[in-house]
Amino acid sequence: MRVLERLFDRLRPTFDKGRLARARPLFDAINNFFFGPKTVARVAPHVRDPLDVKRYMTMAIVGIAPAALAGIYFFGLRVVAMILVSYIVGGAVEVLFAIVRKEEINEGFLVTGLIFPLILPPALPLWMVAVGVAFGVIVGKEVFGGTGRNPFNPALVGRCFLAIGYSKAMTSAWIEPGGGWIGRATEYVGADVVSSATPLVLAKQGEFAPLANLFWGNVTGCVGETSAAVILAGGLFLILVRVANWRTVAATLGSFALLGLLLRSLVPEHFGPVGWHMLAGGLLFGAFFMATDPVTSPITNGGKWVYGVLIGGLTLLIRSLTGYVEGVMFAILLANIAAPTIDEAVARWRVRKLGK
Amino acid sequence: MRLRTKGGYNVPLAGKPTGEIRALPEPDALYLPLTSRRFAFTQTVVEDGAEVAPGEVLATDPANFDVPLLAPRAGTVRLGTVENHITLENTRREMERPVQVGTPDGHSIEVKRRRLVRLGAWQFFEDANTGRLPDPSGVPRAVVVSTARLEPFGPRGDAQLAGRLDAFERGLEHLQSLLEYQPIYLVVPDVQSPLAREVHESLRGLAYLRIVTIPLRYPFDHFALLARGLGLEADPSRPVWALRTEGVLAVDRALTACRACTERIISFGGPAAREPAHLSAVAGYPLEDILAGALSEEPARIINGGALTGETIGEAQKGLDAECAGLTVLAEPRRRELFAFLRPGWTRRSYSVCFLSALRRAGPEPLTTALRGEKRACIACGFCEEVCPARIMPHLIHKYLYSGALDDVERLGVDLCVGCGLCSYVCPSKIELREEFLEAQEQLAEERQHAEEPLA
Repeated sequence: MRVLERLFDRLRPTFDKGRLARARPLFDAINNFFFGPKTVARVAPHVRDPLDVKRYMTMAIVGIAPAALAGIYFFGLRVVAMILVSYIVGGAVEVLFAIVRKEEINEGFLVTGLIFPLILPPALPLWMVAVGVAFGVIVGKEVFGGTGRNPFNPALVGRCFLAIGYSKAMTSAWIEPGGGWIGRATEYVGADVVSSATPLVLAKQGEFAPLANLFWGNVTGCVGETSAAVILAGGLFLILVRVANWRTVAATLGSFALLGLLLRSLVPEHFGPVGWHMLAGGLLFGAFFMATDPVTSPITNGGKWVYGVLIGGLTLLIRSLTGYVEGVMFAILLANIAAPTIDEAVARWRVRKLGK
Repeated sequence: MRLRTKGGYNVPLAGKPTGEIRALPEPDALYLPLTSRRFAFTQTVVEDGAEVAPGEVLATDPANFDVPLLAPRAGTVRLGTVENHITLENTRREMERPVQVGTPDGHSIEVKRRRLVRLGAWQFFEDANTGRLPDPSGVPRAVVVSTARLEPFGPRGDAQLAGRLDAFERGLEHLQSLLEYQPIYLVVPDVQSPLAREVHESLRGLAYLRIVTIPLRYPFDHFALLARGLGLEADPSRPVWALRTEGVLAVDRALTACRACTERIISFGGPAAREPAHLSAVAGYPLEDILAGALSEEPARIINGGALTGETIGEAQKGLDAECAGLTVLAEPRRRELFAFLRPGWTRRSYSVCFLSALRRAGPEPLTTALRGEKRACIACGFCEEVCPARIMPHLIHKYLYSGALDDVERLGVDLCVGCGLCSYVCPSKIELREEFLEAQEQLAEERQHAEEPLA
C-alpha cells in the first residue's frame, strides 16, 4: 500500500498546474478516498474529532443498504442496473460541476445516487432514471451551490420531475414482487412483466392488501419502499448512530398516526385505517431516509418537530383527500420550502430566551 | 451550590500531566518575550548592560495599567540581541529581598493593590466576562476563584494546591481584604478526592466564601460561563474579577512576603510529551532547554496553552512568556491511513457514535494535529449546537456569516461565544467555526466603537 501512497504523491504535482489542473478535484477525491487526507489543523483547536463527511455519508449508505438489497430481492437485477445508472449519471454531473466550480467533490451524491432509484417504480426505463437523476442533481442541488446549500432533497426533485413529465410510466411501471429464498435476485425482469397496481391504488377502490405483506414487503411499489421491516431496521440504525434525527421521524410518524386517528373518527369515509396506511406506500421510507436529510430539514431541534408534523399531516391529507394516491413526495418537498422559515422562527424564539 | 450546565465535552487527549512537579535546572540565560497573550511590554525601563536583581522591573505595559515584566533572576540585561525579547545573561539565583511599595506599614486597600501590580500578581487577574486585565483601582462586583482547569492540558489545580493549602487560604483572606463586602465564589470541580475533602473542610467556615461546584467537563471552568451561570453578566462599570489557583498563591506571595511572583507552576503535557508532568518554571526560561529530549515524537507542534484554545509557538519565540500557564505538545501526522473512513474505528474515539468505539469506554487517544477529514459545506448535523456550552447555534451563525449578514450574526448571539473550540472540534465538515466567530466578534466590536465615536 506504500506503493500506492507514493504513486499518489508522485502524481499530485501534475494536477497542480497545466492542462490537468482542472481535474484536480477528481484527483483529490480519488486520492482521499484511498488515504485519509494529509491536511492539518491550521488554527486552534489543534486536535479534531475523527468524524468527517465521508464517514457520515458512509453511515447513511449503510442504513439505506438493506432497503436496496430488499429491492433487488423483490424486483430483480433491474434494480442493480438502476442503481448503477443513477450513480454513473449523478456522479458525472457532480464531478462536472466540481471541476467547473473548482470545488471539491462532495460525498453527498453517494447517498442521493442510492436513494433515487429506490423511490422509483422498478420497471421504469433506465433512460428515465438517467434523466431523472441528472435533473434532480442539477436543479435540486448544483444550481444552489452543491451539497449543504440545497434547499430541496435532490432525489425528490428528480422524482417529482419524472412524476410530472412521465406520469404514465411513473404510475404503471410496477413489477410483481418475487418470493421464496432468492426472490427475483437472479433474474433481470424486462418491462413486460408489469403488474396492475400498488396497494395504495387498490385501497382507493376499497381493496386492502394484507398487513403482513406490507410489513415484509411482498407487494408492488417503488423499489425500496415496500418492505417496512428492512426500512425499520436500517432507519433505527441511522437513529442509533445519530445520522438521522429521531425527532423528525417521531414527529412525522406521530403526527400521521394521531391526525389519522382523529380524522378517521370524524370522517371515516375519506380516511383509511391508520395502521395500514403507516406501513403502505413510501411513508416509512420517506420518514426515515428522506425527511431526515439534515441539509434540507430545519437545523434546530425545535424546528425538526414542526417540520415532521408538517410532513406527516400533509402526507395524510394528500393521500386521503386528493386525486394522488401517495403524498410523501409532495409533503417533504413542501416542508423543504418551509424549513428555513421554521428555523428562523425557532432561532428568534431561542434568541429571545438567550437575551432574557 | 451547583452550576447548571448544558453541552461541553472532554476531548480524549492522551498525555495528561501527572501531579508531579519537576524543577528545571538553572538556566544560563533567560529570554523574556516582550509580548504575551494579553500584554505588550513596550516600555522598557532598564538599559542595555544593566545589572538587575531578582524581582526588578524590566519593562511595563502602558496599555494595561503598567503591569511589569519582572526579572526572575539576577543577571545582565541585553536588549536587542534577540528580537522582541529582553535577554538576561549570566543569570544567578540570588536572595530576594522584599520589595517595598508605599509606606512600609501601609495596609490600605490602595497600597495593597499597587503592591499586587508591582510584584507581578495582578497579571493573574482577568475580567471574567471579557478576559481582559481589570483595572486594579476598580471596584469589582464579585470575585470568582477557580481551582479547576479543564482544557487539555492546563496546570491542574490539585497539583498546584498540594502542600500549599495554607498559602491558598491566606491568599483568599488577602483577596477578601481588598474588597468591601463583595462575595468571593470559589469554584471547585465535582470530584471526590482526599484533597477535595481537605479543601472543603478547611474553607467551609469562611463566611465571605461561596463554594460552587462544576462538573468535570470542559469548558465549564471558563470564567465567562461561570459569570453567566452565577448571574454576573457583563456590566462595564462593575467588573467581575477572576483568577485561578496560581493567582491566589501569587496574591499570598505578594502580600504576605512582599516578594515578586516570578516562579510559576506550568503544565507540560500532550501525546508527544515523553513525561507529562508539571514544571516549576520562570518567565524567559529557554524553550529549547524545556523541549530537549522531552518529546517522544517529532516533528511536533508546541502550543502555548491547551490543545483547544492555545496558540502555536513559532520559531521566533525563545523563552516562556510571562503569562504561559502550560505547554501542550502534539505530533504532526506522518502516515496516511488506507481507507480511513471505512475502518470500524474500535480505537477511534469520537463525539459522534459513528465508530465502533462508541460501544466501549475507550481511554485517551494520542491525537495529532491532523484535520482528519476534508473541508466541506455544513451538512447541518447539529453536533455543534449540542456541544456548545454557551447555548448558541454555531451552524446558523456560520450560515449567516457565509452570506455576510453581520447584523443577523450579532442577533444570534455570536458575542456569547467563549471560544472554547468544541464546535470546530466536532464539526464533520471541518469548518473553522471558532476562528470565524472570534473574527466576527472583533469586527462587531470595531463597528460598535465606530458607532460611538462622535461624527466629526
